[in-house]
Amino acid sequence: MVASLVSLMSIVAFAGPASASGESIGACVAERFEEAEMLHDGHYHDWLEDVRNTVDDELEGCLDAPSPILPELTEIIWGGAAFLILLVIMVKKGFPAVKGAMDARSEKIRADLDAAEQAKTDAQTVQSDYEAQLADAKTESARIIEEARVTADQLRTDLSAQAEASIAEMREKAAADVEAQKAQAIADLRAEVSGIALGAAERVVQSSLDADAQARLIDAYIDEVTGSNG
Amino acid sequence: MADSPIVGYAEALFSVAEAEGNLSAVEDELFGFAQTFQANEELRSTLADASVPVARRLQLIEDLLDGKASATTASLISMVVSAGRANDLPSIVDAFVDRSAGSRNKAVATVRSAIDLTGEQRQRLTEAIKTSTGKEVEVKVVIDPSVLGGAITEIGDDIIDGSVRRRLNQLRESFR
Repeated sequence: MVASLVSLMSIVAFAGPASASGESIGACVAERFEEAEMLHDGHYHDWLEDVRNTVDDELEGCLDAPSPILPELTEIIWGGAAFLILLVIMVKKGFPAVKGAMDARSEKIRADLDAAEQAKTDAQTVQSDYEAQLADAKTESARIIEEARVTADQLRTDLSAQAEASIAEMREKAAADVEAQKAQAIADLRAEVSGIALGAAERVVQSSLDADAQARLIDAYIDEVTGSNG
Repeated sequence: MADSPIVGYAEALFSVAEAEGNLSAVEDELFGFAQTFQANEELRSTLADASVPVARRLQLIEDLLDGKASATTASLISMVVSAGRANDLPSIVDAFVDRSAGSRNKAVATVRSAIDLTGEQRQRLTEAIKTSTGKEVEVKVVIDPSVLGGAITEIGDDIIDGSVRRRLNQLRESFR
């Protein structure tokens, strides 16, 4: 690319003006105007019509000058030689260097792309691992939380059941104690009353059992033994 | 069933009394002494006390039975006390009485009463027991005021309780 630009500049430099006589188009037009003014001094309008016609004719003469595109033969020779020299230099020296630099650059970019791809793959792998670990951790944490919740529920249920059982047992025991104390008090009172009554009855019996009564009791006992049969 | 030493002593007493020829009297006297012995705490503890010299205990027996029992009875009681068997005396006498009655093909009926029974009552009771149990018995009366009234008869393991005490106890039970 650089070589092509240098070749074009060389061609323009060696081309020069495009007239066959060696003067420019502007100078040619100015010269024709001066000649026309000297010929028609004092008759301006006629002159101007003449000038227009003359200029048209003269300009056609100017345009018929040698082609500005096709340079002269010497310029073509020098330009072609310079182009060839530069082309050879470029082909021999510049192009390999540029190609090597380009190849190195491409290789480096490819290596960088590969490294970036590898890094991206590694990063994706690490991300996948992290995501998997995160998922595992979430699952594990959910499991632990659920387990703890179940354990807490069970513990609460057990404690509640124990407390209720304990309360029921205490109530039953208290009721039984009250009942037992009541029964004991009644029994004590009854024993006390019966003891007093029987003590009184025993004293009455003892005082009333004289010899005749004792003899009658013995006789009655003997009759009882006789009546009992075994 | 009494243990063998008690039966052995009872056999010895029976043999001596039988040899002396006054079995019936000795039987009544031993029975009476045994009742006194059981009822009297002081007498029981004194005769069973090993720290009291044997001679003194024997002297006490002699004093108690002097003129109230035969020499054979006194000697037999002294023998039991001397052998250190004073606490077993009631059991030995019971076994002796059973053995004596058994020698006459009779059982012993121990009758506990608040008062003593007349001869006529004893006879009727003996007949009544024979009618009731079919056993020939000899009635031994023990005076026990705690019976209050009526009587309690024991023949071996059989008990016929017609006492006022039993009725009072039944009344006590019915109050509970």
